[in-house]
Amino acid sequence: MPKRRKILFKLIIFIIFILSIAGCWNRRELDTLAIVFGVGIDKAKKPGNIEITAQVIKPGEMKSPQGGSGGGGEKPYWNLTSSGKTIFSAVREFTHKSNRKLYFPHNEIIIFSEDIAKEGIRKYMDFFIRDPEIRRLVWVLVAKGNASEVLETKAILEKVPARNIAQLIEARAATSQASAVRLQEFLTRLMSKTTAPIASVIEITREKKEKIARLIGTAVFKDDKLVGYLNKSETRGLLWVIGEVKSGIIVVKSPGGNGEVSLEIIHASSKIIPEIKDNNIHIRVEITEEGNLGEQTSAEDLTSLPAWTVLERRQSEAIHNEVRRALKKAQELNTDIFAFGEAVHRKYPELWKDIENRWDEYFPNIEVTINVNAKLRRSGMTTKPPKPE
Amino acid sequence: MLRFLAKKLHFLQLLSQNSEDKQESKSRESSQTSLSRDITQNLKVLKDILGPSNDINIREFSFGYEEKVDAAIIFVDGMVEKTTINESIIKPLMYDSHLFTPKESQTITTSIDLIQRSMISVGDVKKVDSFDELVDDCLYGDTVLLIDGSHEALVISTKGWESRGVQEPKTEAVVRGPREGFTETLRTNTTLLRRKIRDPNFIFESMQLGQRTKTSVCLAYIKGIVNPKLVEEVRRRLKRIKTDAILESGYIEEFIEDAPFSPFATVANSEKPDVIAAKLLEGRVAILVDGTPMVLTVPMLFIESFQSAEDYYSRPYYASLIRTLRFIAYTITILAPAVYVALTTYHQESIPTPLLITMAAAREGTPFPAIVEALMMGTIYEILWEAGIRLPRPVGSAISIVGALVIGESAVSAGLIGAPMVIVVALTAIASFVVPAQSDTATMLRFVLTVFASVLGAFGIMIVLLGVLIHLSALRSFGTPYFSPLAPLSPRDLKDVFARVPLWAMFTRPRTIGWHDPQRQEFRLDPHPPPEESEK
Repeated sequence: MPKRRKILFKLIIFIIFILSIAGCWNRRELDTLAIVFGVGIDKAKKPGNIEITAQVIKPGEMKSPQGGSGGGGEKPYWNLTSSGKTIFSAVREFTHKSNRKLYFPHNEIIIFSEDIAKEGIRKYMDFFIRDPEIRRLVWVLVAKGNASEVLETKAILEKVPARNIAQLIEARAATSQASAVRLQEFLTRLMSKTTAPIASVIEITREKKEKIARLIGTAVFKDDKLVGYLNKSETRGLLWVIGEVKSGIIVVKSPGGNGEVSLEIIHASSKIIPEIKDNNIHIRVEITEEGNLGEQTSAEDLTSLPAWTVLERRQSEAIHNEVRRALKKAQELNTDIFAFGEAVHRKYPELWKDIENRWDEYFPNIEVTINVNAKLRRSGMTTKPPKPE
Repeated sequence: MLRFLAKKLHFLQLLSQNSEDKQESKSRESSQTSLSRDITQNLKVLKDILGPSNDINIREFSFGYEEKVDAAIIFVDGMVEKTTINESIIKPLMYDSHLFTPKESQTITTSIDLIQRSMISVGDVKKVDSFDELVDDCLYGDTVLLIDGSHEALVISTKGWESRGVQEPKTEAVVRGPREGFTETLRTNTTLLRRKIRDPNFIFESMQLGQRTKTSVCLAYIKGIVNPKLVEEVRRRLKRIKTDAILESGYIEEFIEDAPFSPFATVANSEKPDVIAAKLLEGRVAILVDGTPMVLTVPMLFIESFQSAEDYYSRPYYASLIRTLRFIAYTITILAPAVYVALTTYHQESIPTPLLITMAAAREGTPFPAIVEALMMGTIYEILWEAGIRLPRPVGSAISIVGALVIGESAVSAGLIGAPMVIVVALTAIASFVVPAQSDTATMLRFVLTVFASVLGAFGIMIVLLGVLIHLSALRSFGTPYFSPLAPLSPRDLKDVFARVPLWAMFTRPRTIGWHDPQRQEFRLDPHPPPEESEK
């Protein structure tokens, strides 16, 4: 019998330990959650305060057949706003308006309004790092205008604007002309001494009286303050260097002179190699790219070797130009968006100690060599343009 | 705790008293155990023992040419083959006895020998001199021949009763493979096995269990393959059983299993002779019980539940694929509701967003928490399943209509239960049929897991699963680790766990069971072209 008691004793100890090591947990049924899909942060009217817009979905409306003759046509989402001195206080403030508790793990985007970004966003990031419900995979965006307005744009193919924006970010890989920055990446850059944070830019365009969200370019931060924007081609120049180009179209002049040729980017990679020449820091950027011939508007046969070589050369020139433009812009803004500083740090850790604090002086004048190795591989389903032989 | 102790002690006391009583009654009877020389006296005693039952026939007659000798045959009507009695016992005695004239020197004792040797034309005849044995045999369908003046009787085997023929087993249907199944008759079952294994080392050891039912139990094993210690242990455990009735092999299973309080069965059973034969050939011991088509085998391994006879009859790739599928199905059947409950009440963040929306939409407006839904649907399913088994066949379709349509469809459309839960429970139900040997354990595990998932989430599921794993690794069946060959790991035996290797690559028997004669076959039996003849 003592054996039985011993087992019982062990069991009790076991259960006590189990129950005490469970971290923070809570039983919540699905119908007590307000699932947040997007968060927008604006300045509140009251100075010093911020206003948060949370886009919460209504699962019932999400499922019901959309539109039609139903008449009611209620939106499947609800944009709640609340304001407070800090983000956390504003988030808790939501409970006065929503019967369900806001649930953030499925949140996909955080949008900062332009004016808040210009003031500096470090103080608002803390909540997003600290709170266990926020994912590091959230996309960080800057809205030209108000963040709350962006969350009210019309999503035609999706039901919820926030989800639409998140998918826009995923779809931008087809052009590589807009940045996509996850919270993790943003924080890494924010916490680096030299590398400048970047974020996607979202703006509102009007098409047939509908407000449509449009993703374009890159927002560039100096430390934690928004200092400028990169346009489409500058953005791709940046992405070439940081190895984020997934796909896209490069349009070059046809070798014959009349017409254009579209080249599709299939694969790209890059290397940043810092070197020291004559006591000066010198950066060499190696870009390797592979593309396909995607379209031609001229009638000539481009698959001949000379034409093909010309195309390859023009392709690398185009890439070279894009990178050059991005570099110029970055040096103008004096923002190391390419993480050149980190590359130097890695290669010359001893030297870095000296220049770390003076990187701002080095960067605008740093000499950069760009080597592009661009190849054309295939010509699609046909070799010749459609014309009589 | 103390009360439990007291109860136990009381029970033990009763137990010892009981056995004393039995011994007493035995000694009382023993005064009349042996037959006397007087047939009328013998018949009187027999009538006393057998009582007034009208299925017991006593036929008195006399035979002999010059000098009539009184004789009697006793048999149980319905359990004997009448033609054998008429043609091979009575007829020779009554008509042909004139051919037999006892010589002067022969007494009746030697003449009973003569009758046994030259007159009874039945295969199995034996001499018996005690009433106990005589009555036992008589009640098992043999015919007793009493002859006046002899203190011995002849027991002539005339067993023959109505029995179900060899049919396809309902519980273990196969697409490819033998379709015969065991029957309720022990002799038929041993025949089915003997026909599969024609090895003189294949041994049937029989014994009687159950003081009142006197059920024949047969221990089968192949000498040379089986571990003799295992046979000894099985024999010891069977001999221990002193109960009044053995009606099904389940009775025996409960008396001999290693872990009576474990939810996991440590004794396997099957209805198919080919399955039992295969297990015997791996070095297991089979226990056949008269009156049931379910044959037990020990030791049992956990993995056995996932091995189907057909795995070995179909080609190895497909067999391995199906084997994997069974593991997946088992996982689904024990985990699906628990995981669903844990995900929807604790870990909403791990559900893909579009799926979460769908699930949340389905949950909108349902009145019960997920755990109540899960337990409710689980219980309803078990009720339907139980009803489906017990119902008379023609009513079966009514149950499926009520079950499927009314409860499944209407409960969802009435908003009582979320549609995903119905899907989860239905999936669970279907998956549980894939591993039938573990389906009862799976049901219990499923409920426990679901409750834990509702209290502690995925953490709770982990606790239960780890507990079960520890239990399984500690469990033994007749000295063999239950979870082998996985714990303890024996890499050689993994040939028949997750994948089933080709039969020609299974050189050895399972290490934990048949290691007495490890090699099953020769090496290099894989089909290959004949060696090329060297050019001359």
